[in-house]
Amino acid sequence: MDIKPIPVPAQGTTLDWHLDQPYRAKHLLLLIILLAVLLFTGHRTEMDKMVVMTGQAVGNVVGLADDSQVVRGLSRVGESMWPPALGTEEEVARLTDLDRNNLPFLASIKTHERVEQKLNTDTLQLEEQREQVEVLVKPLGYLWMVFIKMLETIEIAIWGTLFSVVLSIPLAWYAARNYTYNKFTYTLARGTISLLRSMPELIVALFLVLAYGFGPIAGVLALGLHAAGFLGKFYAEDIENADKKPQEALEAIGAGKLKTLWYGVMPQVVPQYIAYTLYILDRNVRMATVIGLVGAGGIGQELKGRFDMFQYDHVATILIAIFIVVFLLDQFSARLRAKLI
Amino acid sequence: MIEFKAISKKWPDGTAALSDVNVTIPKGQFCVILGPSGAGKSTLLRAVNGLMQPTNGEVVIDGVTLTSATARTLRQRVAMIHQHFNLTLRMSVAANVLAGLLPVVSTGRAILGWFTPEHRAKACALLERVGLTPKHVQRRAGELSGGQQQRVGVARAFMLDPEVVLADEPVASLDPKISREILSLIRDAARERNATVLCSLHQVDLAREFGDRIVGMRDGRIVFDGTPEEFTDERVEALYHGAQWEDHPATEVEAELDALQPQLVAA
Repeated sequence: MDIKPIPVPAQGTTLDWHLDQPYRAKHLLLLIILLAVLLFTGHRTEMDKMVVMTGQAVGNVVGLADDSQVVRGLSRVGESMWPPALGTEEEVARLTDLDRNNLPFLASIKTHERVEQKLNTDTLQLEEQREQVEVLVKPLGYLWMVFIKMLETIEIAIWGTLFSVVLSIPLAWYAARNYTYNKFTYTLARGTISLLRSMPELIVALFLVLAYGFGPIAGVLALGLHAAGFLGKFYAEDIENADKKPQEALEAIGAGKLKTLWYGVMPQVVPQYIAYTLYILDRNVRMATVIGLVGAGGIGQELKGRFDMFQYDHVATILIAIFIVVFLLDQFSARLRAKLI
Repeated sequence: MIEFKAISKKWPDGTAALSDVNVTIPKGQFCVILGPSGAGKSTLLRAVNGLMQPTNGEVVIDGVTLTSATARTLRQRVAMIHQHFNLTLRMSVAANVLAGLLPVVSTGRAILGWFTPEHRAKACALLERVGLTPKHVQRRAGELSGGQQQRVGVARAFMLDPEVVLADEPVASLDPKISREILSLIRDAARERNATVLCSLHQVDLAREFGDRIVGMRDGRIVFDGTPEEFTDERVEALYHGAQWEDHPATEVEAELDALQPQLVAA
């Protein structure tokens, strides 16, 4: 037994019992220092200004303040975002393979009048030119496009998660103190995990886009590498903290490390593993939308494009789509967890 | 046959857990080790399968000395039954019993859980032998009562037909009726295979009932070695009186009181 017993003192020894209060003057001092630090950093991060501006905004809304920068900014964005874009319009002249007798589902052809100011080179006067333009209108065209992009984003997230799970299993084995081979493999695995975790997906994606070009490859790899660090760390810590008793029983009959891990540890940690993996999937879906901003595929790439073209109604559609997907995923993973644990 | 040759164990902090223990346990004997908590019973058992490395001395099993080179093969012949059952609680009863075969099953089969029909039949036969029913096979081990869990532990221990069975306080947390049943199971299954049993206990009455031989330990030394008939109430008093060490009191005080019961009745 490796528990050290406390010796029972000889009979008749006078024992010195005391049970002190848990707080002393030094705790009060620490509290004051903590408050001072908070005030200092609060000023540096403009928390005081934030309070003032938010106060103004609230005052403006209830009619007490005349003007608020925050309310102006938000209402400008809000106006341009509403209503969210649903359809698409494409000039028929640019569509080479359009069959007029067999239009796509729900689509119709409409005619717009386009007015353009043109400089007449003879008179050097600006003249109005009217032009009839035929456009193909798909009322739900943009919604469909967002759906396809969203699907791509989810696929990137799923593959990134798969990649990270596969990569993190050997990492966890070597990074678990009680299963690694020696100090070197332990340090190497822990170092790799820290390195992977310390590189933000966005930065990794930026570099991988340079290496693999625009598209989902960079996205999957960036998500997978970062999450592998996260999962490796948590899997390893679960292995270390697992109940030692079944492991001891298998070790006692000489089952070997790998089989002991599989029969003595894995059944204990599987529910936690599933929880971590679902969290990573959830996080990867959200991150996959973000890393698209640097060109790593999916809905983020579309979002960035629309944002740069000031098409905030399209941005609104995308944001709503992201919200719906994250919400549904939350429900799904909660159900799956409840079922498996 | 197990021979302990001048076994000593000092913990890193200087506590002597075992001092110069010499015992020989012949093949097929049911040997009970008694003694107050902290006497070194568990430590002695653990020396047999190498879970504890003695500071001095050696353990010889059927003529083979336990070293790091022979440990792997020797451990397959030495089964162990634990105080806290040591089952993987979230795994099925069947998988827990089959885990007793892990040393002889290939890694691939072990990971897939793809055991041969003979192995699965053997697991079922042993589960029946220890008094469980087919309904228990696919249940999680953690859903069973303590007594049932120890039955699974006994079945697991006999999967490899061991030559030596180490039982480390196998009934310390079970009620007296179930304790008797479990000890009977261990004794009978061991007799069928002519296996040697080394069993540490806290209950003097059970030790007298089941042991072919009783070894009394105190402060890492053997202070009594004889038949149950020779282990009189005076010997019991001498073994337990004024015990100086007390570890994890919460779990063991009860067992200790149990052990003292016959004395109190006698007095």
